[in-house]
Amino acid sequence: MSRKLGLFIVSLMLIISIIPAVAQDNVTIRYFTFSAAPDHLEDLDAIIADFETQNEGITVEVTTAPFGDYFTLLQADVVSGDAPDVFELNYENFVTYAANGTLLDISEYLSGDAPYYPRALEAFQYEGVQLALPETFSTVLLFYNADLFDEAGVDYPTEEWTWDVATLAAEAINALGEDTWGIYQPVQFWEFYKKAAQNGDCEFFNEDMTESTINSEACVETLEMMMSFMENGLMPTAAELSGVSDSELFLNGDVGMIVTGIWMFGAFAEADFNWDVQIEPAINQHAHHFFANGVAVSSTTEHAEAAAAWAEFLTASETAAQVRVDSAWELPALDQPAYFENYLELTPPGNREAVFLALESPVTPPVIERQNEMQDAVNGLITQYVDGMLTAQEALDQAKDAIDALIQ
Amino acid sequence: MNSINKQTITKMGLYLIMAVIVIVMVVPFVWMLSTSLKSQEYILQTTPQLIPDPVTAESYVQLAERIEIFRIFFNSAFVAVMTTLGQILVSAMAAFAFARMEWRGRDTVFLLYLATMMVPAVVLVIPQFILVRSLGWINTYAGLIVPTLFSAFGTFLLRQSFLSLPKDFEEAAFVDGANRFTIFWRIILPLSQPALATLAIFSFMGSWNAYLWPLFAARRPEVMTLPVALGVLQSGPRALTEWNIVMAGAVVTVIPILLVYLLAQRWFVGGITAGGLKA
Repeated sequence: MSRKLGLFIVSLMLIISIIPAVAQDNVTIRYFTFSAAPDHLEDLDAIIADFETQNEGITVEVTTAPFGDYFTLLQADVVSGDAPDVFELNYENFVTYAANGTLLDISEYLSGDAPYYPRALEAFQYEGVQLALPETFSTVLLFYNADLFDEAGVDYPTEEWTWDVATLAAEAINALGEDTWGIYQPVQFWEFYKKAAQNGDCEFFNEDMTESTINSEACVETLEMMMSFMENGLMPTAAELSGVSDSELFLNGDVGMIVTGIWMFGAFAEADFNWDVQIEPAINQHAHHFFANGVAVSSTTEHAEAAAAWAEFLTASETAAQVRVDSAWELPALDQPAYFENYLELTPPGNREAVFLALESPVTPPVIERQNEMQDAVNGLITQYVDGMLTAQEALDQAKDAIDALIQ
Repeated sequence: MNSINKQTITKMGLYLIMAVIVIVMVVPFVWMLSTSLKSQEYILQTTPQLIPDPVTAESYVQLAERIEIFRIFFNSAFVAVMTTLGQILVSAMAAFAFARMEWRGRDTVFLLYLATMMVPAVVLVIPQFILVRSLGWINTYAGLIVPTLFSAFGTFLLRQSFLSLPKDFEEAAFVDGANRFTIFWRIILPLSQPALATLAIFSFMGSWNAYLWPLFAARRPEVMTLPVALGVLQSGPRALTEWNIVMAGAVVTVIPILLVYLLAQRWFVGGITAGGLKA
């Protein structure tokens, strides 16, 4: 008996002596990202290098995937029970992953002094629990080709513009020549929910989210207004674009105004004409996209503490913020005006303040658990409307039925 | 005279139609090559240039800077060659068992095996991924090659070819003391070269062009194959894709397969007709 006891004590001591050694062992965190490849891999490496210096013993291993395949691969990893420790999520997909219990509640690991935008932090809470950290935000503005405005003798867009004024300007620019278009703004789900907010009366859901109200009179009116540019020949159809993307059209100097994201600043910098940005015109009120990417920790990670430390560093550290701003990656979701000083000084565009002005009227996407299915259904029906196969009312009636089926 | 005229006109019409089809087929390749030799600012021109002016190889240099093109090219070639060899060996042995050996339930098993061709590959990706992951083969060559070795199509193609060989050869060899393996290796395989060549081309092309499985199984640059790397070059919705670089990558990807096709064209067409007639 005493021999057994002795053996037990000896093995216990052995185990205890091993534990600190294990704890000090190097930890490798697997991080999966879509926003870094292909242009910002070196910037990400710079952030990682600083993190690894400050957190000895933690190594970050990066895997990237093209945006188009990212969520398929992430889903496969999660399903196969081998999710990366830390991964990026956009706001639209956040709820799907949060609702399925894939994300770790990271509140207990956070330092608490990270200066996140409160609204951005809230966006990544699910049922009151912090399941991801806001990494970056972006918005969509009205970009305009100042040279074409001069040529057409039209005043540049102002903060007071409404879409009626924008239409008049588009008509004047459109008249400049056969290859010149007045405006381009996409007719799809993301543009629609924002225009709905600009209308003010078009809501996608009733208050308790039990039924869709996407086919209301205000919504039909909004969708018809979006389509009016194409109907009046101020905006090219898909056939007229024939594979050229809207941003390529702008870069070519063939369109007066384009509604697109601030992530295009870098690509448009090489344009050989003068251009600037302005907040979007209003219908009845202002509304601007608030797109956010977040970073989440997998609920199955074996290194929760290290993973959360990396997630916080990546989203809130000064290094990460500076690298993002300096490399014209996306903007950190941090309420620290000092970080953005350099950003505001860069040109073009001259009016970078519009980015922050737009954030005063933010709209987040309508999100349900079966997000992708809703987006696909609504986009499909809007396309049928654009192609003239359905009227706006018919398309939205069908959209209501589809959404109702998804939220039941 | 009249009938000759009529014949000439019919022939001319036929050639015209064929010429149109050829142009439709060739233009994308010409365009790919042309775009890969342009610099960024010329790609977006409203009046597109077919022949680039100035011609520049800049895109190819940038391609090599963006991705480890030589390593990735080697990966693609290695995986395609190993897959082809492995698939031929496995399919030939299976086809031999199905065509030349008598065993109970043989035809039922064959039908079941053939039925797997009806299951779309997309459906199998996730289960296969979980399996390969539990074997620890993600991001390894084994993960890329082994799951693709078993081809119902290849087995079918070779079985049909083996069935068409006269039994007499085999019996003669048997009488001379050859065992089954010798018959398979020394008699059946050498006589089935056209079918083997056809299968080789199909599996090489299949492996070279494969996107979905390599996307799942090989995400690290050390094992990444060309089609996946090309996908990485295309930016997401939030940036402009540099088409000249993508097209340079496409040219690099297409050249080997074009060479294989040109060299083996005879077997390729022959194989399809043979397979078709006997199916």
